[in-house]
Amino acid sequence: MRGQRALYGYLFILPTLAFFLAFVAYPFFRAITISMTEWAGYDQPRYVGLRNFINMAHDRIFWIALRNSLLFTVATTVLQTVIPLLVAVLLAQRWHWDQVVRTALFLPVIISMVVASLLWRMIYDPNFGVLNSALKAIGLSSLAHPWLADTHTVMPAIIIVSLWKSLGFYMVIFYAGLQAIPLDLYEVASLDGANGWQKLLHVTAPMLWPVTTVVMVINIIGGIKVFDVIYVMTTGGPNHASEVLGTYLYVTAFGATGGGSPSSGYAAAVGVVILVLSMIGTYAQLRLTGGRSDVY
Amino acid sequence: MSTREQTGTNARHPFPSVVARQILPARASRVVSRTGGYLILLLLTLASIFPLIWMILTSLKDRSETYSPNVIPSKPSLAAYQFLWSQMHVGQYLWNSVRVTSVTVGAVVILASLAGYAFARIDFPGKQTIFLLLLSTLMLPGAVLIIPLFLQLSDMHLIDSQLGLILAYIGGGLPFAMFLMRSFFTTVPGELVDAGRMDGASEFGIFLRIMLPLARPGIATITIFQFMDTWNEFIFAATFLHSPTQRTLQPALFALVGRYSTNWPVLTAALTVSIIPIVTVYLILQKQFVTGLTAGAIKG
Repeated sequence: MRGQRALYGYLFILPTLAFFLAFVAYPFFRAITISMTEWAGYDQPRYVGLRNFINMAHDRIFWIALRNSLLFTVATTVLQTVIPLLVAVLLAQRWHWDQVVRTALFLPVIISMVVASLLWRMIYDPNFGVLNSALKAIGLSSLAHPWLADTHTVMPAIIIVSLWKSLGFYMVIFYAGLQAIPLDLYEVASLDGANGWQKLLHVTAPMLWPVTTVVMVINIIGGIKVFDVIYVMTTGGPNHASEVLGTYLYVTAFGATGGGSPSSGYAAAVGVVILVLSMIGTYAQLRLTGGRSDVY
Repeated sequence: MSTREQTGTNARHPFPSVVARQILPARASRVVSRTGGYLILLLLTLASIFPLIWMILTSLKDRSETYSPNVIPSKPSLAAYQFLWSQMHVGQYLWNSVRVTSVTVGAVVILASLAGYAFARIDFPGKQTIFLLLLSTLMLPGAVLIIPLFLQLSDMHLIDSQLGLILAYIGGGLPFAMFLMRSFFTTVPGELVDAGRMDGASEFGIFLRIMLPLARPGIATITIFQFMDTWNEFIFAATFLHSPTQRTLQPALFALVGRYSTNWPVLTAALTVSIIPIVTVYLILQKQFVTGLTAGAIKG
């Protein structure tokens, strides 16, 4: 009876396990192996040990990509934690039409990154984009700018798109966190004579801390593996000014633009760097949340 | 002015204005902060939806009007949509996306329910080890897998085949969906399973007739999450599919830019068409959507 039940257990998990082994685990180990080879993708791979990783040290573009990845990660983590938190606190204060606001803020979340990126590419267009048109219309034509073609503004412009797309998502997580704070805590604080700001600081903030760490860690991991938004908006340009690890890996492996022979071994090594960085991010989550991996 | 007076329904919020009353500073400044608050919310709402409204309005423009700074088209027309349909095979891409997405979602929901149930409610040797193994890659960045998956699908002669893409999607989606379903199944009272076993029902019968109906919220969650993820996925689709007959919507949109970068009405019409299915589902199932996506938060 028990044995038969166990048999059903194996039967039920078999398809999931098979898919996992074939399309996640095996490719994963293959990725590690490829990262230790010199290989253009079509010829015979040649084992080179850690040479791909050593070569990174002298690869100017790799360092640009790493720097931009970290910059993007830090900027989005700060912006996409603080702003959604403030918006959630504001929204939680009972307004007319608050449901409409939440629906609107969530709309950018559900559309694809490709659509969002293409849309913003048009908005940022130097000649006909609605952003420059608007600046000219209100007499600020001196601020009109080729946003994505300037090496100084390209990363901030992309970060704004990321914020636009994800604000509603993180806001909803904070909003749920706010709703879950027990009312008694505020009543007790009132009895103790706390004013509004003191309650925000001593009741709301500590109660929201677990949710905040979750939001930050999702941001960190999402930042390290950022790809779509940059690939679609700039392919890492102009002149690598928005190159991140994800785009560098992809272009190196599949030679999308810029020519040069594809180098799968080196690209896989860049993938291992992304992996290690995101593992550090995951580890940070486990430390910050004490092993809790659930939002609720 | 009390915050309570300003609000209509109390039913929607289980926790009445508590946060509001506690956070806002002195009563005197409250009217000012209410007005300021509405202003901020209005600006946030506009900032969120303006790009989408601009997109729809531009898609209705005549091509000659593309570059005029007027946001609202002077003579709205559906010419761009007609062009999309007749010249750009957008119907084909839509159908490809529908097909890939529905097969993926169907397979993930069925297989993840089975596995989630087994991990939650059946004891078998090695269960914990296998469970942890499946979860170990939950945070794995897709970029790491793209090169080996490309090779593997090539070996299987499944490059430029929707089947190959679907297999990769299912493999990638299952661990997380299984994890969610398992947590839903653990909330269903165990007595029901025991009672079913007493009555001599088979394990599969218990799963199908007792557990599955009770786990409907979980199924809704993973369906929505997987639907969004698959419908919007770009880079696997762009890399594993080449020919226009196979291509799904997201890479097709990206390719369209290369050819029609200056024809904004056509471009925005294509973007509009691509978001109609997902926005429709969102507006109908808003609550489940938000739950499903925030539950997916940990996947990152």
